[in-house]
Amino acid sequence: MTVATTQPPGTAARLRRGLLQGLPLGPAVVLLGVFLVGPILYCLYSAFTDMALTGAAGAHFVGLDNFRKAFSSPEFQQSLVYTLIFTLVSAVIGQNLLGMLLALLMRSGTSWIRAAVSAIVIGAWVMPEVVAGYLWSAFLGDDGSFNKILGVFSLPSQDWLFSIPILAVSLANIWRGTAFSMLVYSAALSEVPKEIEESATVDGAGTLQRLWSVTLPMIRRSITTNLMLITLQTLSVFGLIWTMTRGGPSNKSQTLPLFAYQQAFQLSQLGYGTALALVLLAIGGVFSLVYLRALRLEDGRR
Amino acid sequence: MSNSLINGGSRRHLHKVAVDVALLVVAAGFVVPLLWLLLAAFDARAGVSVAWPHPWTLDNFASILTYETTYRPMLNGAILCGGGTLVTVFASVLAAYPLSRYHFRAKRPFLLTILFATGLPITAIMVPVYGLFVQVNLINTLTGTILFMATTALPISIWLTKNFMDGVPVELEQAAWTDGASTMQGLRSIVLPLMWPGLSVVTIYTFIGLWGNFFVPFVLLSSNDRLPASVSIYTFFGQYGQVVYGQLAAYSMLYSLPAVLLYLVLSRRLGGAFSFGGAVKG
Amino acid sequence: MSRTARNHHPAAAPGVPPPHRVSPHRLVRAAVALAAAGLLSAAVAGCSGGGGNGGSDTLTVTYQQFGDSKVQANFLKSVKTEFEKAHKGITVDLQPISASEDDYYTKLQLQMRSPQTSPDLVYEDTFLINSDIEAGYLRPLDDHLKSWADWDQFQPAAKKAAQALDGKTYGVPDGTDTRALWYNKKLFAKAGLPTDWQPKTWDDVLAAARAIKSKVPGVTPMNVYAGTGVGEAATMQGFEMLLYGTGDTLYDPETKKWVVGSQGFTDALTFLKTLQDEGLAPSAKDQLAPTWSNTIPQQALPKGKVAIALDGSWVSLNWQKGGAAEWPEWTSTMGTTAMPTQDGSGNGKVSLSGGWTWAIPKNSDNSSAAWDLMKMLGDKKHELAWATQNVQIPVRKDVAADPSYAKANPTNEFFASLVPITDYRPAYSVYPRISQEIQAATESIVTGNASPEEAAKQYDEQVKGIAGDDVTSASGS
Repeated sequence: MTVATTQPPGTAARLRRGLLQGLPLGPAVVLLGVFLVGPILYCLYSAFTDMALTGAAGAHFVGLDNFRKAFSSPEFQQSLVYTLIFTLVSAVIGQNLLGMLLALLMRSGTSWIRAAVSAIVIGAWVMPEVVAGYLWSAFLGDDGSFNKILGVFSLPSQDWLFSIPILAVSLANIWRGTAFSMLVYSAALSEVPKEIEESATVDGAGTLQRLWSVTLPMIRRSITTNLMLITLQTLSVFGLIWTMTRGGPSNKSQTLPLFAYQQAFQLSQLGYGTALALVLLAIGGVFSLVYLRALRLEDGRR
Repeated sequence: MSNSLINGGSRRHLHKVAVDVALLVVAAGFVVPLLWLLLAAFDARAGVSVAWPHPWTLDNFASILTYETTYRPMLNGAILCGGGTLVTVFASVLAAYPLSRYHFRAKRPFLLTILFATGLPITAIMVPVYGLFVQVNLINTLTGTILFMATTALPISIWLTKNFMDGVPVELEQAAWTDGASTMQGLRSIVLPLMWPGLSVVTIYTFIGLWGNFFVPFVLLSSNDRLPASVSIYTFFGQYGQVVYGQLAAYSMLYSLPAVLLYLVLSRRLGGAFSFGGAVKG
Repeated sequence: MSRTARNHHPAAAPGVPPPHRVSPHRLVRAAVALAAAGLLSAAVAGCSGGGGNGGSDTLTVTYQQFGDSKVQANFLKSVKTEFEKAHKGITVDLQPISASEDDYYTKLQLQMRSPQTSPDLVYEDTFLINSDIEAGYLRPLDDHLKSWADWDQFQPAAKKAAQALDGKTYGVPDGTDTRALWYNKKLFAKAGLPTDWQPKTWDDVLAAARAIKSKVPGVTPMNVYAGTGVGEAATMQGFEMLLYGTGDTLYDPETKKWVVGSQGFTDALTFLKTLQDEGLAPSAKDQLAPTWSNTIPQQALPKGKVAIALDGSWVSLNWQKGGAAEWPEWTSTMGTTAMPTQDGSGNGKVSLSGGWTWAIPKNSDNSSAAWDLMKMLGDKKHELAWATQNVQIPVRKDVAADPSYAKANPTNEFFASLVPITDYRPAYSVYPRISQEIQAATESIVTGNASPEEAAKQYDEQVKGIAGDDVTSASGS
């Protein structure tokens, strides 16, 4: 670190300053180091063994077997596809757009309506996963409210958990997570100075055009950041889907976290399950890199 | 002139009504799935389908409002999750400061690693964590579990806090420094109050995540009198897979309360939920 | 226009205040305080007693806590009082684990792994005990059993429940369950069927189902669990109840290999297909819902929506006072009869049994006291009390013969009579995965995605992948 200072910039002084400045990182680094780094390294090790929690003693090194088994397994490939569908539909499209819509709407409108809507949307967010799972099972089931509503509009009703389970769990996840995007975008929009928007209106821009050409570009960074965070969170969603469908029927809603859990804990294939978790982590890494690149492009453009 | 004014006024009014309607539609969409919870909790013969309760009863609540079933797990949960949230927020604020204010070579890779870590499913590392806890004698301790739960929430919390902190301009701190305040004092008296809305988001997010976490306390705690509410919810799943849905719904309502209350308390202090001072920036 | 501090920084870091303002002392003091706090809390944590299992004068007993049912907790508390009186100086520490099945197993296995956290007496499901035996978690009990007179009272089939491939016994069962046909006598009367139904072959069963379909519309004739939604229920109450009536089995104990290509397997699948195709079974979407094994006893049977259900001996637990779906009329509405074999040959009846056993972990530090407790739990008085309180099927001949047992529940005598002919699953370590393949096979029949032959072939392929060399072709297929 270079610093303009009145003291002689001796190495010892610089080092001490660097340490002092980095000190606040201490508690976080200690916690992460003690509790996360060790177990993650152990996981890296066990992904290359045939460790099982039961059914066999000890763990033997099997090299890349677990990964080979995974990539050649149709069930794994299917879970990859479902994970991608789930993430795209519920996070990138669903939570993102709905959150943005709500944030935009929240800028105007009567104040008590705004308060009520925000309370309800956030209420859905704070509800624990397991409870949300049961809620949506009941909602989308045969006798559920969803079908009753469809009945009012004379639309066909069916057991949504049975026919298109991946869509059903995606809907539930949108319901559950939109609040986060809404909060983030509200914060970002409140930063956009009113003058710029108003001058656009005076120039004759319609609402949509103003939105597209003026408002949204100003919060591009927030959009990218938000997408990044919710993508990573959605990739590892487990409890919601597990409660609603257990990954079924016929594994038609089995995303990668469910598949890994099933292998590791239901079938006691701990080594295999851990390898799958690492694959999930790698996918998250790929998404992160994509978003970070987009962010860096933002940096350059400014 | 007056015409265009009137036109502008009525157009704005129409705009407001349209927005209100849209908001109400969305709110309705969010409320409807909650119906099952409300109906089943008061239903003596609740099933997994949405049905009007007959007979209406408060029995479900009466049967679960005991020390062992509800009060103790909720208390344990409050200690675990409240403690964990406090530790996380504390460590995050401290860690975010150098990440937000200073430059150093390790910063980018550190941030990247943190971001990467948010994608880790914690279930995957619970077996080695269990082994670790046994070795250092932290197994079945509230302290150990609090610390671990805080650690699992750290990565995303650091990332969020840093972003909110970025939104507070350094100039304000510099003003305080010229008045003789130290860095920590500046942090406490200038930066923190300005990023209070952001901190609230982080606090709620962390608490909700911890409050709903089942697997971590389940693995790390063995004494039943230390288990939190997220684990005790399984008291409603009987042998041979029987589920008592009415009690489960009643319990779920109570279970969601603390998180909702926390949000209400914090949003009141936000003074209107959406006037954030700090922006989330990349 | 960004106001972030970072963008204001050139290579220099103007955010760093001039050094004479830093007051490093304060920072250092803060750091030391933090470190001290950290060390202190770690020390406190360490001292506040980790989850050790007490000294060797404490017997830690771990079992699964089912819902909020107090039956087992109360039973074990009374045993604890009795035991502590008889063995002064030893404290029994009851540590139930309240969780779903899979999580119970996981937690138990984690605990048994290390001597510090290992319990002294554990409650193991026969479903998984062989896996835990193979993982080396449990102690063989043969030396103890040799000198225990009561062991002769246990049914031969039950004695094998906790027997491993090495021939040693690792657990003492405290009861079991059997499976049979439950049927609605009122609906049978409406369809002109006998209310003391005694089917002798699969065709008899199908005939009754067809009669219900034609004479009592709006009622699902028969439910046989299938698919991956309900899990093991589909394998045990469903498929295996059919397969074991054909003369073919899943596993050949002589050669110790898993059987593939058996005709019985395909026949069992064909039975399911018949039920599905002729509209005698519930809809596919009902069967595949994970909650279906709850809905049947709690909603469908009491409401008379299903006429015949192939299910277990515990079902009436739901309908008793305090159960999840109280139904006092069940004693006059529901009848029970044994599931017949395919063509009436052999025993004529089929039943499968599961159940739980008590076992002693290898890492226990008080195995002799644990054995004393196990003897107490396994003696006649206690097995009788347990069987009565928890609607368990006794595994001791003298308990089953006791008149107070038969009086406790109308169906007790019937289900207990199935124990002599019942089968236990080949619950070896790969069994969970084999079971899953069975569920997948039945699911493809229910959804109509495969024919019985195709599903059987798919099963064979999967088993070869799971069991490797331990696979043999069925004789005479």
